Amino acid sequence: MSQEFVTGLVSVPVYVVDDDESVRDSLAFMLDGYDINVTTYAGGPAFLDDAEIMQPGCVILDSRMPELRGQDVQAILTQCHSPLSIIFLTGHGDVSMAVDAFKSGAVDFFQKPVDGEKLVQAITIAAEKSLVRSEQLCALLSYQSLTEREHDILLLLVQGKRNQQIADDLCIAVRTVEVHRSSLMKKFNAKTIAELVLQYGLAIN
Amino acid sequence: MGNVLIQSVIAALLLVMTQVHADNTIDKNPNSVELVDTKQIITTVDVGVLATRGVFEAKQRWQPTLLWLQSQIPNSEFRLHPYTLAEMETAVKQQSVDVVVTNPGQAVRLGRQYPLSWLATLNSKLGDGTHVIGSALVVRADSHYQHLVDVSGDKIAAVASNAFGGYLTMQLAVQNQGINPTAFFADVAFLGFPIDAIIYQLRDGYVDAAVVPVCQLESMLEEGLIQQGVFRVLDDVSPDNFACALSTQLYPNWSIAKTSAISAKLAKKITRALLALPSDHAASIAAYSTGWTPPISQLSVDQLYRDLDMHPLQRPWWQEAAVWIKKNQQWAWVVFLFVLLISVYHLMLEYRFSRSERKLKATLNRLKEKNAMLEHAQRVAIVGELGSSLAHEINQPLAAILNYSQGGLLRINKGADASAVVPALEKIQQQVKRADGIVQRLRTLINKRAVAKSSCDMQVLLTDTLELLEYDFQQKNITVSRACFGNVVALDVDIVGLQQVLLNVLNNAADACLMRETSVPINAEISIASQYSDDRLILTITDNGIGLTATSEELQNAFFTTKKDGLGLGLAICRDVVEAHHGHFSLAPADPVGCRVSIHLPLPLQ
Repeated sequence: MSQEFVTGLVSVPVYVVDDDESVRDSLAFMLDGYDINVTTYAGGPAFLDDAEIMQPGCVILDSRMPELRGQDVQAILTQCHSPLSIIFLTGHGDVSMAVDAFKSGAVDFFQKPVDGEKLVQAITIAAEKSLVRSEQLCALLSYQSLTEREHDILLLLVQGKRNQQIADDLCIAVRTVEVHRSSLMKKFNAKTIAELVLQYGLAIN
Repeated sequence: MGNVLIQSVIAALLLVMTQVHADNTIDKNPNSVELVDTKQIITTVDVGVLATRGVFEAKQRWQPTLLWLQSQIPNSEFRLHPYTLAEMETAVKQQSVDVVVTNPGQAVRLGRQYPLSWLATLNSKLGDGTHVIGSALVVRADSHYQHLVDVSGDKIAAVASNAFGGYLTMQLAVQNQGINPTAFFADVAFLGFPIDAIIYQLRDGYVDAAVVPVCQLESMLEEGLIQQGVFRVLDDVSPDNFACALSTQLYPNWSIAKTSAISAKLAKKITRALLALPSDHAASIAAYSTGWTPPISQLSVDQLYRDLDMHPLQRPWWQEAAVWIKKNQQWAWVVFLFVLLISVYHLMLEYRFSRSERKLKATLNRLKEKNAMLEHAQRVAIVGELGSSLAHEINQPLAAILNYSQGGLLRINKGADASAVVPALEKIQQQVKRADGIVQRLRTLINKRAVAKSSCDMQVLLTDTLELLEYDFQQKNITVSRACFGNVVALDVDIVGLQQVLLNVLNNAADACLMRETSVPINAEISIASQYSDDRLILTITDNGIGLTATSEELQNAFFTTKKDGLGLGLAICRDVVEAHHGHFSLAPADPVGCRVSIHLPLPLQ
């Protein structure tokens, strides 16, 4: 057993959703050994109700569960633009199930019993992806909240124009441009123009 | 076709008749020469008489009459020939007699077949003198019989089946009473002439009743041959002026006739002499008569023969049919065509029947095939479902165990205290128990099928099983041979289970034969041998298929298979079933190719 992963590298919450108590408990025990704290749920509804699904994180989903199938949980998460990364861990998976899962954006797909190390690797990757996705979602939300005038000014800013040129292009006062510009910086949570451009890139990606 | 046959029969008949006629002509010649050329020479006349009561009596009765004739006709000699019924007929047929004296029954029979001319009828002192022939049904006086019907089916003696007074008249009387003559004379004995013997047989108790010509009893009584009161006659219908007891109606008396062998002139002389015989002459008395009268009608005799369906002029049925066909050709054709039509229809039906039978067989075979496919599919489905749910059930605890053990190892590697791992190990134990529980449940589920053992002849079971596979083997061109040694003993077995074993083994053998390379030109064969010894039955099933390709260790495992769509369960099931019977199941390669399955089953203790 290699030592590299015996760290608390994962900075996002990890959830385990499985109807089988022994599987939940044993997974938690094992991942605890890798210093990964997990929150376990016995079913899809409980997970959707309690977990912070709009925050970055990683969820290990069983596919066959009595109340809500793993695939259904995945569909709901996608629908509400959750940044959570999904890893499937199923007792009886097949190729078509795996293909469907990956197409719907799952990070990984495992069959029980799973090797702990591979699972931890997948969790690490999933956590990173979730963080990126979370940032993207954040930028997108900011971008979508822009007014028409702010949007126009943003486009001109990205082209590298100065405030005076923008004011001339849009036939408005330089002061007005400055007000909108500071509002833009606030909305994107950016301190410099470079940060603003980065956020814009994330948003339109 | 029918017409041709009839024509040929008629032609054959004509030929025979012509020959008979030719014989007659040859026979006649010497006689006529004698008559014409030797007027002075004595003319010999052969007289045939029916000797009903024996030769001696016949001579006594008729010799005086012949002497009378001889005395009346100059230059003549009358020779007496006593005959039985059959001899008389032969004599007339061969023209060896010139004159016949016989009873009315034979008179009519002969008269309708040969050219006889009636000269006179004997006159009797009884009744009206001319109708004096009939039958009496005689029983012993002390018997319980009262009427004709009482005798029906009992032992009856009669003269002959063609005797007139001695049988035929009685037969008609019985028939006229509404009794079936065949049933009445079911136990009849024909004793022939002399008739006296019949009475003696009745007297001595050999028979229960006797049919004799009328007056037979009275004559014997008169002659002192029997005693008064020993016999009686049933249903006596004799008229007032008739001295003899009688059970039937009366028929004409005996007659005399000439054949075509003597001339009409001589016949005239004989007739004249007979009619001239005085009633009180010794010759009359000897013949129990009062002389002779001109011949009387024999219609009643003709009617009797007709009623008994045996008239001599009556043509046989096939001849009648031929005549009818000739007369009604159009109807004959209709009937012929109808028969032809029916035959064609019959053939058509037969053809259609056999065709539908073939179809039915083919359908049945298809059904069997489908059934086999369905069974196979069902087996696969059941095993698939079982396997899938089993895999899932077992997988959960396995996954948990893996997780716990990995977590535990990780902690140990990180130098954690042993107490940190203890809960994991405990949980692993729990999971192992859970998995074990699943296995146990499965085992009880499998063993739940109640094994009903019953007495069974393995040979019958083999036959039944082979019947199930018959069509399949036929399709695959596989020959099956069977042999059985020793005394066949019934075994107490799980019939369903053992049949499953046989089916598995035989199907496997067939598959092995099919999997063999087709380039090798040997016929696929499966031979089954049953050997019964004192304590066991050894069933050997040998095929000449591809043989064994797996190691014996692999063969021990369930789910091991070399077949494309096999489940690898057949052998395991066979082994289980046979071992449940305390038997032994083994596989070995056969010589030169193939595989031999041996099933040892213990026999019940005698």
